[in-house]
Amino acid sequence: MNNPFESTGRVKTSLNSQKYIASDEIATIVFLAQKLGKPLLTEGPAGVGKTELAKAIAGATGRELIRLQCYEGLDESKALYEWEYSKQLLYTQLLCDKLNDTLGKADSLSEAADKLAQEEDVFFSSRFLLQRPLLKAILCDQPTVLLIDEIDRADAEFEAFLLEVLSDFQVSVPELGTLTAKHRPFVVLTSNNTRELSEALKRRCLYLFIDYPTLQEELAVVRLKVPDLNPKLAQQAVEFVQKLRNAEMRKSPSISETLDWANALVALNAKSLDKQTLEDTLSVLVKHEADLQKAKRQLMAPPPGRGKPDEYGRFSGN
Amino acid sequence: MESRILQLIAALRASGVRVSLAESAEAFSAVDLMGIQHREHFRLSLRTTLIKDARDLPVFDKLFPLFFGNGEPPMMGGNPTDDMTPEEAQMLADALREFAQSLRQRMQRLMNGEQLSKQELEQLGQMVGLNQTDDLRYQEWMAQRMMRALAFPEVREALRELMEQLQQMGMSKERVDQMREMIQQNMQGLEQQIKQFAGERIAENLSEQPPGDNLDNLMNRPFHALADDEKKILQREVKRLAAALRTRIALRQKRAKSGQLDPKLTIRASLKYHGVPMEIKYRNRIRKPKIVVICDISTSMRFCSELMLSFLFALQGQIRKTHAFAFINHLESISEDFSGSDADQAVASVLWRMPSGHYNTDLGWSLDNFNNDYLDTLNGQTTLIIVGDGRNNYNDPRLDIFSLMTRRAARTIWLNPEPPVMWHGDSDMPKYAPLCNNVLKVGNLKELASAVDQLLSA
Repeated sequence: MNNPFESTGRVKTSLNSQKYIASDEIATIVFLAQKLGKPLLTEGPAGVGKTELAKAIAGATGRELIRLQCYEGLDESKALYEWEYSKQLLYTQLLCDKLNDTLGKADSLSEAADKLAQEEDVFFSSRFLLQRPLLKAILCDQPTVLLIDEIDRADAEFEAFLLEVLSDFQVSVPELGTLTAKHRPFVVLTSNNTRELSEALKRRCLYLFIDYPTLQEELAVVRLKVPDLNPKLAQQAVEFVQKLRNAEMRKSPSISETLDWANALVALNAKSLDKQTLEDTLSVLVKHEADLQKAKRQLMAPPPGRGKPDEYGRFSGN
Repeated sequence: MESRILQLIAALRASGVRVSLAESAEAFSAVDLMGIQHREHFRLSLRTTLIKDARDLPVFDKLFPLFFGNGEPPMMGGNPTDDMTPEEAQMLADALREFAQSLRQRMQRLMNGEQLSKQELEQLGQMVGLNQTDDLRYQEWMAQRMMRALAFPEVREALRELMEQLQQMGMSKERVDQMREMIQQNMQGLEQQIKQFAGERIAENLSEQPPGDNLDNLMNRPFHALADDEKKILQREVKRLAAALRTRIALRQKRAKSGQLDPKLTIRASLKYHGVPMEIKYRNRIRKPKIVVICDISTSMRFCSELMLSFLFALQGQIRKTHAFAFINHLESISEDFSGSDADQAVASVLWRMPSGHYNTDLGWSLDNFNNDYLDTLNGQTTLIIVGDGRNNYNDPRLDIFSLMTRRAARTIWLNPEPPVMWHGDSDMPKYAPLCNNVLKVGNLKELASAVDQLLSA
C-alpha cells in the first residue's frame, strides 16, 4: 500500500503536488496529526489557506473531503443526522394497500400489532436517515478527510457536542443503535479566532498556527497558482503586498487576495506596476475604503519618514 | 531527556500557559514518534502538542532554546597565537608581562578561545545570586552581572592597551587588527555562553516553582492592591471566567422558553405522529439584555473598569447590544474601540486617548454630556450599569439627570469597589444609591464575576 504520508518529506511533496506549498512546520504537524490520529486545529488570519490545507490533504491522500461549515445556530440535526419524515410519510401512504394486505389476514388486534411490529424496521432503516456531514464521515466505507470549517462561529454547546463525536467517532441513533466509524477520518478544524475555543476541545487537538507567509513562500505560491504572471511582476507584486501587511490596516491582504490580484494583473495584461494599473486593480487587494486610501498614498508617494501618515490615522479612529 | 521535557512543561505552566496532563502525555508520544535527532522536528512536535493558543507561542519560543540549547555552540573566533612567528609570540609575552597576574590569566584565556567550564559558570552564578531568580526578564541583567564578576570591562580595557603596546613594539597593523578581531569574537562567544547559562538556570528555577501560584488569592485581592504583573494574570483569568460564564448564560438562554406556541416547529414535530400534534413546541424567548455601561476610568477606578469592559466584550454574543461610555472629566463613547475582537487592545487605546489628570473626576458634567448626546440609547429594555466610586470632587452630582436616566432604563445597577461604610467625604454615593435598583460592591475579581453573572441572569 502506497501511503503518501509516511514521512514528513513525503507529506511535503505530496501536498506540493496538490498545488499547496507547505512549510516544514505544516508538513511536520500534518504528519504528526496523521500518525497520532488526532484532530488538527488550525488557526490564523482569514485567507492564509487553512481550508485549502484540508483540501490538499484530501487530494494528496485520495480521500473524500467532507465539509461541515459552522455557523451560529448550527445544531445536531444539521450536523449529524435527521429522519426524513416526508419520505417516511410518502412511503406509508404508497404502501397503504400492501399494509392492508399484511394486516388484513390477522384475526385479532394483537396479532395485527405483532405483524406491524415485524415490519417496523422498514420505516426506521437507514433508507430514511438523512446523513449530515458528521454521520457521513463516520459511515463512509472509505477513509475520509473531515473538514470542520470555522468552528469559532458555532455555539459553545455545539462545541461540547462535537467533543463527544471527535473523541470516539461513534454516534448513537436511538432507533438504529450505535454506529461506529469503520475508518477514523482525518479531522481538520479551522478557526479564525473570533472567539476563544473551549479548553477541552483544544486539549484534544494538535495545534497549528498558520501566519502570513514570508516573501519567498508567498512568491512560490503565486508562481505556482498563477503561472502566467511574468516573474518580475510577480516579485514586485508580492513585495508590495508584504509591505502593505506591515502597515496598520483594518484588514490586511491575505494570500487569497494576493492570488486574486495576481489573476487580475494577468487578465489586464499588465506589464508593470505603474500608477494606472494600481489604481485599477488595488480594490481587488484591499477591501476597506480607508485602507485603500492609505495604500494608495503609501505607494504613490514613497514613505516620507515618520510623522505625516499619522495625521490620517488619528482622524480615522473616530 | 524526559526530565528535561518535564522541566520545560513545568516552566511553561509557571509562565501561565495551561498544559494539561493529557497534553504532556501527548507530547511524549509525539516525541517518540518523531525522534530527537532532528532538532526542528523535535521542537515542532513539542510545540504542536503543548501550545494551543497563538498567544502562548512566544512563551514557548523563548523557553525552548533555554532548555534544549539554540542548536549552535557559541561562536569562538579561534586562537590568534596559532600562526604567530616566534618573534611575534615573544612580543606578545613581553607585552602581557606588563599586566597584573589575574588580568593576565583572563586575557590569555580569551586569546586562546577557551570556553568557561560548567563549574566556573556555576560559581559565577552563585556569586550574583542567580539561583534565587525565577523571572526571565532578569536574564539580561543577570548575564551582565556575571560578566562584571568576570571583570569583563577591565579585561576589555586591558586588551585595548595591550594592542597599543604591541603596535608600539613594532607588530604590523593588520596583524594587530586581525588579533583584535579574533579576540572580539571570542569575547562575544563568552558573552553568549554566559547569557545562555543564565537563561537556562532561570528557566530551571521557574520550572521548580509551584504552578498556578495563588490564583485564588489574586481573585480575592482588592483591585487597588494588585501589582502590574498580577493584573496581567488576572486579565487572562477574566478571559477564562468569561468563557465559563458565556457557556452558562448561553445554556440558560437556550432553556428559557416562554409560553408562546411555535406553530412551525410543532407541525414539524407532529409529522412523526402522522400529523397529530403530540409534542408541542414553544418559541424560544430570547432575552438577551441590552446594556449601556458608563465607566469611570480615572486612576482609582481604572483597573476595575478595564476588567468590567473586558468582561462585557467577551460576552458580546450573549448580549444584544452594548453601548459603552467612559468618563473622567467628560464623557466619551468608546463602543467603536471594541469593534475588533481584542478587548485588551481596545482598553489600551481608550486609556491612551483619555489620559487621567489629577483629581479631575466630574461625574455630574459627564452625566450632562450623556443627557445631551446619548440619552436615546436608554429605553425600556436597557440595563444601565455604572462602574465608579461616586467620588465627584464636590462637583454638582446632577441628580436630576441621573434620576431621569434611571427612569428611562429598565434597571440601573451600580458597581462600586467601596463598601457603604466608606461612602463619605466627597462621595456622592449616598445620594445616587437610592435611585439605583441595585448597588453591588465589586472590590475584587471574584465579586466582579458574580456581579456579571447576576446581571445576565435576570
